[in-house]
Amino acid sequence: MTTLLVAKQYIRNFIHKYEIYLKPLMKLILALMAMMMINGQIGYMNRLDNISIVLIIALMCSFMPMNFIIFVAAAFTVLHLYALSLECAAVVLVLFLVMFLLYFRFSPKDTLVVLLTPICFVLNIPYVIPLAMGLLGTPASAISVGCGVIISYLTGYISDNATTLSSIDAEDIVTRFRFIIDGFLNNRDMLFIIAAFAATIIIVYLIRRMSIDHAWTVAIIAGALADVMILLVSDLMFDTNVSIVGMIVGTVISVLIAKVIEFFTFHVDYSRTEKVQFEDDEYYYYVKAIPKITVAAPSKTVKRINSSKRKSSGAQPRR
Amino acid sequence: MINEEKVILMTKLASYETQEGKRDISIINYFRGDYISFQVLKSVIAATLSFLALFAVYIFYNFEKLMQDIYKMDLLEFGKNVVILYLCTVGAYGAISYVLYASRYGRAKKNLKNYYGNLRKLAGMYDK
Repeated sequence: MTTLLVAKQYIRNFIHKYEIYLKPLMKLILALMAMMMINGQIGYMNRLDNISIVLIIALMCSFMPMNFIIFVAAAFTVLHLYALSLECAAVVLVLFLVMFLLYFRFSPKDTLVVLLTPICFVLNIPYVIPLAMGLLGTPASAISVGCGVIISYLTGYISDNATTLSSIDAEDIVTRFRFIIDGFLNNRDMLFIIAAFAATIIIVYLIRRMSIDHAWTVAIIAGALADVMILLVSDLMFDTNVSIVGMIVGTVISVLIAKVIEFFTFHVDYSRTEKVQFEDDEYYYYVKAIPKITVAAPSKTVKRINSSKRKSSGAQPRR
Repeated sequence: MINEEKVILMTKLASYETQEGKRDISIINYFRGDYISFQVLKSVIAATLSFLALFAVYIFYNFEKLMQDIYKMDLLEFGKNVVILYLCTVGAYGAISYVLYASRYGRAKKNLKNYYGNLRKLAGMYDK
């Protein structure tokens, strides 16, 4: 445990020292990942599916605010879909427009989740998102996660049915349009995932705020179990196409990632917890004070025993 | 000798100034009514644009049916329903944003009041 805490301290010191370089680097990696995944999944526009363009735009993103990456990813998605069919691009554009105009005006900090959710879906660990947002966010984050799930399912649906879409007569715009909207609205998997994720976020949030020991760990495990249970029940009742093995493996990995998040954001020592009571003119206070653990990273000091002068004089160590 | 109380107070003030303080000051620069009405106006415009986009999707989705029934249906009634739906959407969204921005203004004012109070306290410590 002490080794882990020392490692945490080292990492924290490292981040503090090199924050000015690390921040753009993280943005660059995130933008690269996002754009390469978009290109991999729906790379219909050949001009954009080009590593040099991706690199240039990712470099640009590294010096811009975080929300610029979301804007670029949205633009990439719409342009690729435009190359496939105008109707797809129109539907996705309307979806983005409504999301940004109605919800993300209120909570611009949450927009990153909309980008991270589809990335985690591609990596097969979407279950980490509700756990992380329950730990770090508020119940309102459920809306952002829901938006992320909608986007990843919509793009997934379009990429799965790209051949069908292109086989529909180009003149028949309305049929194409109806095909996309119907497929999107009748997707029961998506609705159950949104419901399960929302419930998980609320459960994790409520438990981690409770005044119990190991609240964060209990919250992570309870949230993961609730998530799996809801998805299994929905699979049994409505025969949704959820891969059970994939879900369980994904959840276990997500729990581990959530534990890492917990370790780095909030680590406290329950053995030195103090409960104090005092009062002022207006209130009685019952305060539970939980000390944070900080371990000083051992610094190496080189102590010279032999001075260079004696060394040069040819002093031999005694045997 | 380090005055611990002063250090704690200064740390609190500095952390507020660098984080929420900036936003709070930009909010308090407006009068309450001006701030809230400006934000609600922006919300109404956003809701109108979203409604128009979704309405266009609805029309396009039901294009064939609408074209067939256009002479049979009561256009006035249809238009009335759409306007009522629009007013309800914009009204609900406007009300939510009113509550949200009113609470944001209140919070910013309270935070700044605390901040100025702490500043005075700090100044008092220097006077001693």
